[in-house]
Amino acid sequence: MQRYVVQRLWHLVPVLLSVSVLVFLMVHLVPGDPVQVMLQEYGSPAQEAALRHSLGLDRPLAVQYGTFLWRLLHGDLGRSIHSGRPVIAEIALRLPYTLWLTAASMAVAIALGLVLGMVAALWHRRILDYAAMIAALAGISLPSFWFGLVLILVFSYYLRWLPAAGADTPWSLILPAVTLGTSAASIIARLSRSSLLEVLRQEFIRTARAKGVNELQVLYRHGLRNALIPVLSIIGLQFAGLLGGAVIVESVFGWPGLGRLAVDAIFNRDMPLIQGIVLIAAAIFVAVNLCIDLLYALVDPRIRYS
Amino acid sequence: MRRTNCSRSGTNKFTRRDLLTRAAAAGAGVAVSGAVSRIVGSSTSAQAAPRRGGTLTLVLSSDPPSLDPQKTPAGDLSHFLLYNMLVSADRNTDTFIPEMADSWTIDEGGKVITFKLHPGVKFHDGTPFTSHAVQATIERLVNPAMAAPGASWIGPIDHVETPDDLTARLVFKQPYAPIFSSLRIIFLAMLSPDAIAKLGPNYGQNPVGAGPFKFRQWIPGDRIVLDRYADYAWAPKFYKNRGAVYVDGAVVRIIPDESTQVVAFERGDLDILWQAPASSAGRLIQSGKYQVFKTPTAGGYYLGLNVTKPIFSDVRVRQAIGWATNRDEVVDYALEKLAVPMDSPIAPTIWGYAKGLKNAYHYDPDRARRLLAEAGWKPGASGALEKDGRPLAFRVWTFALDTNVRIGIVLQTQLKQVGIRMDIDQLDAATLLARTPSGQQDAILISYGWPDADILYYFFHSSRMATTNRVHFSNPDVDRLLEEGRVTVDPTKRLQVYRQLQETLLQQAPWIPLASAYTITLAHPWVRDLYVDKYANLLTNDVYIQK
Repeated sequence: MQRYVVQRLWHLVPVLLSVSVLVFLMVHLVPGDPVQVMLQEYGSPAQEAALRHSLGLDRPLAVQYGTFLWRLLHGDLGRSIHSGRPVIAEIALRLPYTLWLTAASMAVAIALGLVLGMVAALWHRRILDYAAMIAALAGISLPSFWFGLVLILVFSYYLRWLPAAGADTPWSLILPAVTLGTSAASIIARLSRSSLLEVLRQEFIRTARAKGVNELQVLYRHGLRNALIPVLSIIGLQFAGLLGGAVIVESVFGWPGLGRLAVDAIFNRDMPLIQGIVLIAAAIFVAVNLCIDLLYALVDPRIRYS
Repeated sequence: MRRTNCSRSGTNKFTRRDLLTRAAAAGAGVAVSGAVSRIVGSSTSAQAAPRRGGTLTLVLSSDPPSLDPQKTPAGDLSHFLLYNMLVSADRNTDTFIPEMADSWTIDEGGKVITFKLHPGVKFHDGTPFTSHAVQATIERLVNPAMAAPGASWIGPIDHVETPDDLTARLVFKQPYAPIFSSLRIIFLAMLSPDAIAKLGPNYGQNPVGAGPFKFRQWIPGDRIVLDRYADYAWAPKFYKNRGAVYVDGAVVRIIPDESTQVVAFERGDLDILWQAPASSAGRLIQSGKYQVFKTPTAGGYYLGLNVTKPIFSDVRVRQAIGWATNRDEVVDYALEKLAVPMDSPIAPTIWGYAKGLKNAYHYDPDRARRLLAEAGWKPGASGALEKDGRPLAFRVWTFALDTNVRIGIVLQTQLKQVGIRMDIDQLDAATLLARTPSGQQDAILISYGWPDADILYYFFHSSRMATTNRVHFSNPDVDRLLEEGRVTVDPTKRLQVYRQLQETLLQQAPWIPLASAYTITLAHPWVRDLYVDKYANLLTNDVYIQK
């Protein structure tokens, strides 16, 4: 197990290296110049040259990448071109907000998704099944910016139960988490329904029932645990989706997370910041998927890592 | 030697016309606005004595890049609350009045300006405001290592002299007529010399100004928290309260989504909605629940035609577009009637605008058709006019912003009626800025803002070809007039220069001026004695909260 974890962590190195090369190339290939964005239109050519030099942007791309990599090895992601603050500090300020939001959304997605999926599977081809699947379809089809605004209108404007924007109280988390979690819940619901249906048709379920095992135990100990494996892997992937989806939801709800920082960085062509955010996001994604892989073993004792 | 005076206590000899230079937007390099007209609600009038306490909650769509005024490409309300400048503009008369300087004289034909500074002014860190602060601020601004976006607005400054603690002398290499406009811009906000030395490049994270509010906390993406500066006692004379503000502090929330901003405002989470989104402004105004401040912008939207493109090399085609454009429709349909038509490259609210220009365009599609026919364009099979087998068609680049796109669609329809096909490409700001210097664009549809006609130097002088001259226009007469406008200190003569310049630019038609939009600021009724000035700045010294 330990060896497996170490091995997987080693895999992180080429993944992050590839990500860094790709991102580096991408930010340099898209049109737009951070110096122009910073000085706007009224800077003089001499000023532009001075700023370009001080930021090291006048050096060849390979040298710039080499410098970036060398700093990275020393734990330094550089400084944001736009704000002048260290990239790591910028990310450290925003990451906790995004992690909170993602975790809360994941909780909403799992709770809602599993309940809907189980209801649909247990009442297969009955009204509850259809209702659950229509709800899932709606959840996946509604654009998050629209759904978020509807939630703001209902719960914040008309009912006045929850704040419209910000991150100053725990209540502020509810609306963005529900908005973000709903579409992920839909996928989890559909997958857990089909997975559970398949498992419930297996011989060992019939055997369990024949032995007189309580129906709840059949469902929980024999059905759900077996049905959860594919659901778990999709939860890992959904996590990445949530990190990405947070960009829009964070803007709608004024949530000061990493997604908004990324969007601002892209608009400002703030290369070190874009690179830093993507690297951190990639590392989180890989780490979450590693955790999911390890969870398989907990859920299904047949799976062993060596 | 001409010598002019202005004093804090005495008669103000520096009228707007005397000085030529209008107060610039303290808030903004880009988005500045003109005359205010409050159309609803009197914030009001202080029947009762102002109440101390409470917090003023405001909103911005995004974090300022920095709270260091020399490191931001455009100021916003957070900078204006933190900092003061040497001079201010009277909110009623639009004349220059003292802020941190008590008086000033102009000598040597405009090459030397001597400021007498207000005694007893202290920065938020306790550092006294002296001539050395003026010197340190300006030297920092022009230091190439700073790469300050606003460095060029100080003009051809040579050095700053400090004869004594309360006298600062700005010495220029040559007269720079727009200097007073610049002195009101946030880039020229006075900085604490001690904080400059102590904080270096981190000034923006711990901003130290001498404005009515001092910095407490900045949670990026969420809020900027400011406290009342209790020692503040140098508010401009138009305020009833020239001391510290009545409120305990201000919170500037950061909410990117316009709809969310509006809901937060309507819920009362925000006291003031600065620059209300056009999509909701009309409804909020009509509700009659709020105080409304409507300020025409000192700037506007224009269609810039790249004169180096074959299609636009013939001036008649450019002029035809001018005649084919119906500005009233642009105002009515694209700008929700919250704008005024613009008949010159200079918006009516910018100093230097000339009324009754004989080369101004008005809507005359027949004249447009005649000009195009004269230029050899004939009806073609594609629906657009054609010449030598080429259609009269071009692509316009604009920002992916709702208003810009709507203006584009209105123009597209109007130009189609005279046989011109215009396609719209939406780009983000960085891409547009990067691509236009090389001249790839046929045309651009964007807006600008500035309080002085000198802004035209950046848009039309041939030396700016690689940067802000996005129409790649080069004309020796225009170059000469632009240079003359910069150094002509006499206001009457300078106005004549700009009148001539506007006539030439309209005749040459590298730009088709469109419309100047209003900035709408809304406030809840409990915000008393608020004033929004000509540049959409919130004047907060008299404000108190009465819920």
